[in-house]
Amino acid sequence: MAGADRDHAYDVVVLGGGVNGAGLARDCAMRGLSVLLLEKQDLACGASGASSGMIHGGIRYMTSDRRVTESASRDAGYIRRIAPHLTFRIPFLLPFATHEEGSRLLDRVAWYATEVYVGTYDLFQPLKGGKPSVRLSADELYRIEPSLRPGLHGAVTLDEWGIDGQRLCLLNALSAAHHGADVRTWTEAESLVREGGRVVAVRFRDAVTGEHGEARAGVVVNATGGWSPRFGRSNGFQVPMRPGKGVHLSLDRRHGNYGIICTAVDGRQMFLMPHEMESIIGTTDDDFFGDPDDLDATADEVEYLVDGAASLVPSIRQARITRAWWGVRTTLFEYGVEEDDLSRDHRILDHAAEGSAGLLSFVGGKLASYRAQSEELADRVVAMLGKGVLPCRTHEVPLPGGDEVPSPAELAARHGIPEPVAARLVFRHGSRAREVLRVADDDPRMKLVLCRDEGILAAEVAWIARHEKVRRLQDLRRRCRLALGGCGGLDCARPAAQIVARELGWDADRLRAELADLLEVGWRERRPVLDGWQLAEEELLRAVHRGLGGL
Amino acid sequence: MPPSTRIECDVLVVGGGMAGATAALAARDGGARVVLVRKAPGSTGLSGGAVSVAQDPGCMPDTPFAARAGVVESARRIAATRPGHPYRLLRDRLDRLWNAVEFATGQMSEVLAPPSGRNRWLLTPFGHAHAAAACHRSMAAGDLAEVRGTLVVCGFEGHLGWDPGLIASGAVRVRALGGPTPRAVLLDLFRWEEGALGRPFDLARLLEAPGAAEEAGRVLRRALQRGDAAAVLPAVLGIDPATRVPERIAAEAGIPVAEILSDLPSVPGLRFHRAIEARLAAAGVEVLQGEVRSGAGPDLPAAVGGREVLARSWVLASGRFVGGGIERRGELRESVLGLPVLASEGPFADPSVRFAARPPASLTLRDSRAPQPLLAAGLRVDDELHPLDAEGRVLHPRIFAAGAVVGGHDPSSDGTGMGVAMFTGWLAGRSAAGRGA
Repeated sequence: MAGADRDHAYDVVVLGGGVNGAGLARDCAMRGLSVLLLEKQDLACGASGASSGMIHGGIRYMTSDRRVTESASRDAGYIRRIAPHLTFRIPFLLPFATHEEGSRLLDRVAWYATEVYVGTYDLFQPLKGGKPSVRLSADELYRIEPSLRPGLHGAVTLDEWGIDGQRLCLLNALSAAHHGADVRTWTEAESLVREGGRVVAVRFRDAVTGEHGEARAGVVVNATGGWSPRFGRSNGFQVPMRPGKGVHLSLDRRHGNYGIICTAVDGRQMFLMPHEMESIIGTTDDDFFGDPDDLDATADEVEYLVDGAASLVPSIRQARITRAWWGVRTTLFEYGVEEDDLSRDHRILDHAAEGSAGLLSFVGGKLASYRAQSEELADRVVAMLGKGVLPCRTHEVPLPGGDEVPSPAELAARHGIPEPVAARLVFRHGSRAREVLRVADDDPRMKLVLCRDEGILAAEVAWIARHEKVRRLQDLRRRCRLALGGCGGLDCARPAAQIVARELGWDADRLRAELADLLEVGWRERRPVLDGWQLAEEELLRAVHRGLGGL
Repeated sequence: MPPSTRIECDVLVVGGGMAGATAALAARDGGARVVLVRKAPGSTGLSGGAVSVAQDPGCMPDTPFAARAGVVESARRIAATRPGHPYRLLRDRLDRLWNAVEFATGQMSEVLAPPSGRNRWLLTPFGHAHAAAACHRSMAAGDLAEVRGTLVVCGFEGHLGWDPGLIASGAVRVRALGGPTPRAVLLDLFRWEEGALGRPFDLARLLEAPGAAEEAGRVLRRALQRGDAAAVLPAVLGIDPATRVPERIAAEAGIPVAEILSDLPSVPGLRFHRAIEARLAAAGVEVLQGEVRSGAGPDLPAAVGGREVLARSWVLASGRFVGGGIERRGELRESVLGLPVLASEGPFADPSVRFAARPPASLTLRDSRAPQPLLAAGLRVDDELHPLDAEGRVLHPRIFAAGAVVGGHDPSSDGTGMGVAMFTGWLAGRSAAGRGA
C-alpha cells in the first residue's frame, strides 16, 4: 500500500470510510471506475460503527418521510440478499402500557392507532423479508417475555433485522478493493488542491507511517459524516448539518430474545434489544456542537437510557453494563425542530458554486439505505465524469462471504472446533469461514479459542490480519469484536496481539504500543458505566494490563 | 438455633486472601481462637506470583537495580509522598513492615521464596519487568537482578499463549540496569497433543504427570547454548509445589529454571490459594465457607453458613471490588457491615463531597494511566486500622480493617497490594488478638 498510489490519478477519490464512503467506493469500482478511499481512522469508526446495528425500515419516519421508510425497507431486503450471514431477525415488542391501573378509553384508542400504524408498516415488510405484525394479549406477552413489569395490556410485534454494522462497512471496502479500488485506512485527507475553481487533487497523510501523498481526482466525494462541517470549514466550503450525538449501552449478555420498545422519561421512543451475544439499550439523540474526535458518554446519558429501559424491564437495574458507546448522526440541517423530528433523508451537495467544482458532499441518510444512497451518489459521479461505465450491480452481487451461509454444526464437526465458535465464525465471515478454518487445518495451534466471550479463534485473528485491511490492533474491535465483550480483553487481548504482530511483522515495542492503544479505547467506553461486577472486572483488567503489563 | 452451631472465639476474620490469612495466622500466633469466614477465592487467588510490597518511587528509570532503595526504604518514600496511602497512615510503625513481610512469607514458605529486603525483577507475559519483594519459589531463579550471562526465555512451539520474543523484550529494556541478555526460544512442547489447545491449568496438569517434566527438561537442554545461565518458562510449571516440576525440569536441563509471572487465568494464583488453605488448617484456624449474614460487629452473633459466630474482635479483610468487600450498586458501600466508603486523598477526601454517591465517570480520569480515585476507594482507617466514619470517628474499638478493603492505594499502579495486605493483616491480627504491634 505504501507509496504505490502516491501522485496517482483516480476517477474518484472518496473521503471517509463509513458505510456511505465504503458503499460508494464499491459501487464505483464495480462500475469500472478507478477509486481511492481515504479514511483517517479505521473503517466504521464514526456513525456507521456506532449505529444501533439494525437495518430497520424506519417505522418512526413513516408519517413524516414515507419515502425514507420505503427505500430503507427495500434496501434492507437487498442487504439481506448480498450479506445473508451478517443479518439476524430481531422480533420487537411494542407493549401497551398505562401509567395508572386499568385502561382508559384514550389509552385504548392510542393502542388501536399503534396497531393500525404497525399494520401499515406491515405493507413494507415483504420488501425486507420481515414477518407481519401480531397482536398479543397480556397473557401471551408475559409468557414470551416474563421480565416485563406487571400491568401491561398486551403488545403488538414488529419484525426487524439486526446486522453487524462494522463488518457491513468492512465488506463494502473489501469488495471495492477486490474490484480494484485502493483503500487506505488510517490515512487522513489533509487538504484539497484547486485549479481554476475546480478541485483536482487531495493531499493526504498516513497516520501510521507519517508519509504524505497526493492523489489527483476527477471527482472528490466528501463522505466524512460528522467530520464534514469541520473538514469543509478548513477547506473553503460549507456543509450545513445538525449533528446529533447518540449513545448506546451494552449489557454483558442477552437480556431476552425480544427487542422491547420503551418510552424514555421525556416521551421519546427507545429500545432494549438482544444483539449478537449481548443486549443493547439505545439511544439518545441530542444536538452536538463539540469535536467529533473528542466524545464521551455522560452520567446523564447513561442514567437516561437505564431509566427508560427500566420503565418496562425493572430488572435491567441489576444488569451488568459493560460499556457505553457513541457516535454523531449527520442529520440534515433545519432550524427550530426537535432532534427526533429531523429528517432521516439524505442530500447530495455540489460545491461548484463555492469555487469547488468536482466536489460533492453527502449528508444524512440511514444505515439501512446505504446501498441506495451509494447508488445515487455513484450515478452523480458518473454523470460528472461523463464516462461510459457498467451498470450498478451492488444490489445483486454478494458481498465477500455472502454467497453462501455454511452450517456451523457441519464446520464444527469437520474442523474439530466448538460449535458456538463456528456459529460466530459463520456469522462474521459467511462462506469465507471455510477459508478461515483452512488456516486452522494447516496449523492446528490456530484452533486455540482466544476469547470465550465472543468466540474468537486464533485462526480468525490471523486470517483477519492477513485479509481484512488491519493496520492497528484496535481495528480488530470492528473486525471480530476483540476486547468488546464482558471480558474487556482480560485474557484474550495479549494473545490476539501476539498473533497480529506475527502476521504484520510488528516488533515487541509496536505490539505493546498497539495493546496499550486498544485498552485505552476500551477504558473510555467503560468509564461511564463502572458499577456492580463491572467494577470488579475493571479492577482485574487494571491489575493485569497496568500492574503486570506495565502498559 | 441449637447451641452446637454457635462458635465463640477471640477473633473473627472476614476474608481469606493474603490480608485475612495473615491476620488470622498472626492472631493465632498470639494464642487467640480464630475463625475465618470466606466466600470464594478473591484477588489473592487470581494473583500472578509476585509479592509486591513497594517499588522505589524516587529512582530514575535508568537507575541500576543494585542502586535502588531497599523495600522498606521504598515504602517510606511512598509514605512521604502519598497522603492517603496506608503506608502513610502507618508511617510511625513502618519499621515493623519487614517483620510483617517476613512473618507472612515465612508462614507461606512452602510456596514463597524468602525475601531478601531488595526487590526482585521478574518478567511478565507482556514483556515487562515487574519489581516484587518476594515471589513464588518457582520464580526466584528468574530474578533479572541476579542472573548473570544469558537468560533463555522460553515459549512453547505447540501453544500460542505466550510469545517468548515479547516476554524477552522486557529483559532487553532493563538490560542496561544490570539485567542479563535474553535469548528467546520456542521449546518443542505441547505440539499436536490434545493439550496444545489447553488453558494454563491444563498445561500445568500435563507437566505434573510422571515423566512429563523430565521430557520438558530434555527438550530445554537441547535448546541450550554455551553461556546460558538460567531459563524462564510460562507460569504453568505445576499447580502443586510437591510435584516439583521446576526442579525436575532443571535437573534434566542442567540449568536453573523459573516461571515468569502470570496473567489470567493464573496457575500461581490457584497454587497460592491452595497453600493458604493448607496453612490455615495446619495452624488451627477454623475456616467457614460462606457469607457473613446479619452480622453487626463484635460481641453480637453473626450468621455464617448455618453457624453462629460470636467474636470479641473482628478483622475485615474482605477485599475491594474483586473480593467483594467494597461494592458499588449505584453507590459505593462496604458490603459486610455497611461501613462508609470514603476517599483517602485528593479533592474527594473533603467530607463535603459525597464521594460514595458520585457518578463513576466523575471519580475517574480520562487517561487510564492517571491515578483513579474510584479504583482506590475503600474504608478510611486510623493508625490502629479502625475504620472511620465521615467525621473521622472510630466506628468500633474492636473492628479492624486490613488489605484492599482499606482505601487509598491502587495496587495496579503503585505496586503495594501484597505489602499492604501483609502489613495491615499482621497489625490487625495482632491488635485483634490483644497484642500491640
